[in-house]
Amino acid sequence: MSQETKGTVDGTAAVAAAIVATAVPAEVPTDRGPRISAGWSTALRWLVAVLAGLILFSAFVLANGADPIAVYSDIWTSTLTQSGQFQQIILRAAPIALAGLAVVVPARAGLVNVGGEGQLIIGGIGAAAAALWLTPLMSPWVVVIAMMLSAMVAGALWAGIAATMRLVVKVNEAVTTMLLNYVALYTMLFLILGPWKDPKALGQSTSVELNDAAKLPVIAGTQIHIGVIIAVIAAIAVWFALTRTTWGFRLSVVGGNGEAARRAGMPVVTLILTALLIGGALAGLAGFVQYAGMEYKLRPTFGLTIGYVAFLASWLSRHKPLPLLVASVVLAAIAVSGNSLQINSGLPAASVNILMGLLLVAVLGWTSPRKATS
Amino acid sequence: MIIDLLAGAVRGGTSIMYAGLGETVSERAGVINLGTEGSMLLGALGGYAVTAHTGNPWLGVLGGAVAGALLSLVHAVLVVSRGANQFASGLTLYFLALGVTALFGVSYVSTQINAFDDVPIPGLSDIPGIGPVLFDHDPLVYIAFFAAPAIWWVLFRTRVGLLVRTAGERSEALGVNGYSVKAVRYWSTIAGGALAGIGGAHISIAYADSWFENMIAGRGFIAVALVIFAMWNPIRIMAGAYLFGAALSLASVLQTAGYAVNQFALAAIPFVLTLIVLAVLGKRTMLAAPDELSRVFDNSRTA
Repeated sequence: MSQETKGTVDGTAAVAAAIVATAVPAEVPTDRGPRISAGWSTALRWLVAVLAGLILFSAFVLANGADPIAVYSDIWTSTLTQSGQFQQIILRAAPIALAGLAVVVPARAGLVNVGGEGQLIIGGIGAAAAALWLTPLMSPWVVVIAMMLSAMVAGALWAGIAATMRLVVKVNEAVTTMLLNYVALYTMLFLILGPWKDPKALGQSTSVELNDAAKLPVIAGTQIHIGVIIAVIAAIAVWFALTRTTWGFRLSVVGGNGEAARRAGMPVVTLILTALLIGGALAGLAGFVQYAGMEYKLRPTFGLTIGYVAFLASWLSRHKPLPLLVASVVLAAIAVSGNSLQINSGLPAASVNILMGLLLVAVLGWTSPRKATS
Repeated sequence: MIIDLLAGAVRGGTSIMYAGLGETVSERAGVINLGTEGSMLLGALGGYAVTAHTGNPWLGVLGGAVAGALLSLVHAVLVVSRGANQFASGLTLYFLALGVTALFGVSYVSTQINAFDDVPIPGLSDIPGIGPVLFDHDPLVYIAFFAAPAIWWVLFRTRVGLLVRTAGERSEALGVNGYSVKAVRYWSTIAGGALAGIGGAHISIAYADSWFENMIAGRGFIAVALVIFAMWNPIRIMAGAYLFGAALSLASVLQTAGYAVNQFALAAIPFVLTLIVLAVLGKRTMLAAPDELSRVFDNSRTA
């Protein structure tokens, strides 16, 4: 914004900006009319963004010599019309949603947590540690609870490193959480190639598989484990905490203007600390769900890219907990469709990252209701 | 063994140096680009593909630079023109590049190319110790020796550099003097992506002499960390890149020498080191950050 007021932008751009400004009314309209048209305008922008993403992806597929219509229909039939696949999507979405909440909570306080990836892995390590030590001693139910708590504490402590560095030496959390992702990954690789290596594992090194009794129970007649329910409950809890409690209100004040919050006597340090710790605990919870519900063992690809996808899911949902659930399912569906892409069209599974990237480019750049300064 | 390690540091650090220099240029102008990893991936594939089709690795370097620049152009559009969040945009472009290179890279997976050969510098490469460490490498390593001082000179001693730094420190001053902040940021981001692309091309056509999916393996993110480690100074980027390169090659050197080491404990060293440096010098480091960049950090728009 500051650039425009300084006369660096020529007239046409200013006019264009004015047109955009009038076409998209302010976020909090005073009467009913503009709200509806704002809703339509936003919906239209989203529609165009999604369509643009799909069309550009077709171009990529076409450039690679495959038939985009066949690819889309393969994705459609194999991903969305089979109930088994649908359950896969839901199962994939659960850790994405939890790790996404790990972005949502700090974001409310104006913090950027890029460290879901590492916090999730550390959560997995915490869960695996609890399973390793307690399985011979305790009943399976105690082990499950211990794994969950251990994962959350581990994730929170990991994020706590970034929070401490932010508060004590003023190093930005986006930088530290990103660096910590790699430390977490290498810590896990160290463990599964060293002390925790399963001597019976063939091929790639993994940790010992979780005892069957301690695996997350599934809902009768489906493959859906209770981790999915945990994710939904967590999203509702976060929604409640952010919108219905003093803590949530104060977080958004800190996020809006830290200086104002400080002068109003709010405990800014505590708020920043709790936001990041809770975020870390949620990502740790995602690691627990991924470990005890999906993978059952640590392996070199444990939880790979879930944290980054979750970061984008949070942006896709504009850091709102309930829309985040939808965004997680959408991104999980794209990821799952990669498998059918590989099987049916012979394209690499990772190609679907193009579709995800294009959708996000469109959404980040062209669906924002207001033009923010960079 | 020490010589192997140092030579490995110079070889392995080169790609990180190019990317780190690129990121320095773009961050000096006030744009942080997490898509550096993506630019390196595209650069690696672009460089490899062009080399495979033309047989000329120099054209490959050019192709890598163009590929890396294209991705950062998207970043510039999103961030500078559309006001998107810099972290979210960068990460998005990383995924985009991951997908694009997976899709188009398949056909190059087992292709042979005319890769860069090592060119020992006559005379210098025979010096015991220094010779094998510094003067027995591929041409891109030698160019990197000059790239860091050159970029330092451009940034701190030329008019262009002044414009870039002003865009990062006090952008309104550019407007007052009739320059466009947007244009400066666009060009800085694009230049940064081109350098990252060259770094990626170094990996595929000089370092590994092959292409495989996700071959950059985090070097771009290391480069982003390196820029902070180096306090946005190209000369320190050079030193830091070799340090990171040493840490990366430490494991393989020790293993070749017969030590049973867990390579992953060693691979974490550069990251832990950076965190420690930030913890110790944190305040000083962040004071060295361009002002407009601190603004991105402190008021990152989160809604």
